[in-house]
Amino acid sequence: MNSKFIVWIKFAMANLLRNGRRSFYTIIAIAIGYAAVNIFGGFTSYIFTNLKDSFIYSHANGHLTIFKKGFLTEGRIDPTKYLITSQEYALIDDICAKIPQILIATPQMQITGLISNGEVSTVFIGSGRVPSQTQEIQRQATGIGGNLKLHNGKALQDDIPYGVGLTNGLAEKLNIDIGSDAVVMSPTVDGRINALDVEVFQRYDVPVEELNDKVMRLPLKFAQSLYDTKSIDRLSLLLTDEKLITPIKKLLQTAFKKNKLEMEVKTWKELSPFYRKVKDMFDIIFIFIFIIVFIIVVTSVVNTLSMSVIERTREIGTLRALGLKRKGIIGLFAMESGMLGLVGSFFGILITILNWLLIKLFEPQWMPPNYVIKIPLEIFMVPVYMYWTLLFLVLLSSIISIIPAKKAAYKNIVDALGHT
Amino acid sequence: MSSLVEMKNIKKDYYLGETRITALKSINLSIQNGEFVAVWGPSGSGKSTLCNLMGLTDNHTSGTLLFQGTEVTSLSDNQKSEMRNQHLGFIFQNFNLIPVLTALDNVTLPLLIKGEFEKSSINAAKSLLFELGIGDYFLHRPHKLSGGQQQRVAIARALITAPDLIIADEPTANLDSENALKIIDLMRKINISKKTTFVFSTHDQRLLDRVNRQINLQDGFITNDSKADKKNNDNVETNKNTNFETKQML
Ligand SMILES: Nc1ncnc2c1ncn2[C@@H]1O[C@H](COP(=O)(O)OP(=O)(O)O)[C@@H](O)[C@H]1O
Ligand SMILES: [Mg+2]
Repeated sequence: MNSKFIVWIKFAMANLLRNGRRSFYTIIAIAIGYAAVNIFGGFTSYIFTNLKDSFIYSHANGHLTIFKKGFLTEGRIDPTKYLITSQEYALIDDICAKIPQILIATPQMQITGLISNGEVSTVFIGSGRVPSQTQEIQRQATGIGGNLKLHNGKALQDDIPYGVGLTNGLAEKLNIDIGSDAVVMSPTVDGRINALDVEVFQRYDVPVEELNDKVMRLPLKFAQSLYDTKSIDRLSLLLTDEKLITPIKKLLQTAFKKNKLEMEVKTWKELSPFYRKVKDMFDIIFIFIFIIVFIIVVTSVVNTLSMSVIERTREIGTLRALGLKRKGIIGLFAMESGMLGLVGSFFGILITILNWLLIKLFEPQWMPPNYVIKIPLEIFMVPVYMYWTLLFLVLLSSIISIIPAKKAAYKNIVDALGHT
Repeated sequence: MSSLVEMKNIKKDYYLGETRITALKSINLSIQNGEFVAVWGPSGSGKSTLCNLMGLTDNHTSGTLLFQGTEVTSLSDNQKSEMRNQHLGFIFQNFNLIPVLTALDNVTLPLLIKGEFEKSSINAAKSLLFELGIGDYFLHRPHKLSGGQQQRVAIARALITAPDLIIADEPTANLDSENALKIIDLMRKINISKKTTFVFSTHDQRLLDRVNRQINLQDGFITNDSKADKKNNDNVETNKNTNFETKQML
């Protein structure tokens, strides 16, 4: 490297060491700012990853979901009018089978009706799935979500259609437990009333309290026979990589158009308003943290350099007399300040790593929102955040130093030299 | 060949609020290459002001100041900085060494500022420090050096760029009389050996035997300039030469 530059760096470093304690406090302020941004960023990233995994894998919704056009809007009032027929399903399944990046395309049918223990009956919302495929999606999970057992009792099975799962609230309401029988009733798609026997295979919780006494899961076959139909209401797709969400969505849309299928494709984000709300909230909190860090860094850097400018007035005069240009003075202070930013960020990285290690070591458990069980708390180390925070803080401290440095650079040389 | 410094009707006012203080009233002088000039006079007579103007660290109020033939008011701050860096050297009353830098780094500083810092710069600085008798203090910080030693480092710093003119405003005011004489002798030796022009100010008349030109300032006026007397002689000599040449040509 350029030896001149090294000498300037040494000079800048010597200046910082002159008032080591003051520089140290500034470095600490920057380090804490750095760590605050990255620890919060790491926590946010953990939360988002979990929410995403929970939606995509634990709840087996996949990355993309296919609906009949209109199902999500007009279909709300009369969902049976917007079902995907078995012919359409066969076509869609063919299209999906030709895209190797679609790992699983699993059909679903959500139903509503009454469930009765013989004495009392209550409303239920049921999600008819193909149990083996649901479990396969859950197994694909990479994060914490994959290893969670989310129910008591046994797993639902493809070929035992009457084996169902009840939320704990629903089971309590009906005073039935695992192994008990019950009857579910509902109108078929043609409008006749149908009733079928079920056996409770499992109990579980859903995170939304209002739903915890209404929801049940059942095999798709059961849902279809209750509604007396071969149709489904949606298809969930699990992809090999979330980066493929947009391209595959486009691919499907064109394929549907070519095959005259009136379908719409939704991404998991579009179907998860909860994720979006949490993300918006965290983004706002992040902005606040960021502003606070910004203010702390700016004030401590400006303060440190302003004091330094005053203390070094005579030296500034000397440097100017020796021919250093105004921009040279500004550059020197910017360099000193940038070094504060650099060293501060370095300590910030240490704090971030230390925090990460401590959490790894103590493995605290907690129950995040939208969860029904405790999971290990983690704070991710996100290299992208760490890199950008470093760059940002170094640049910020260098740029902000221009305010005090300009004062130094525009001092009258003779006055500065006479300063004691 | 033009003069190194040329001052015509130079006036310098300071303002203390509304009050105008005229530090230099009407200065006319020229400094030639190779001269060793003492500006002397009582405190407040305008010596520092004169040095600052010649050193391009301050601006005059009116009159014409030419440095190496260039009208300095036409120069930008950057151009003046370059001038100071490349053509001027400074020795200050309170040494003004950079406290965080070693003697060696202080000496190479003007080269660093110039952007010409190289491995050879360090050797040049070392040999200068040796020459000035402080070769043992390369790595000392200024506060570890005596006043006389610090001023030698400052002289080395002023010399490192081989400037045309070294301005020294009261270089001995903070030294005891023995060291003061030594520093002036050292400057004189450099003046003779390296042909570097020196202008230094002092209020100490004892230092004046060592110079070949004395400018006496009183209350912002030049009351006596030993060169101005000599100048007449010089002119006579020049005339003679011209005559001689004319004869030859004939
Ligand atoms: N920055 C200044 N502001 C106001 N007056 C000044 C300033 N600098 C010098 N003076 C005045 O100008 C005059 C000449 O000062 P100076 O050149 O410092 O003299 P010397 O160096 O001979 O002591 C003095 O009257 C001094 O008070
Ligand atoms: Mg003075």
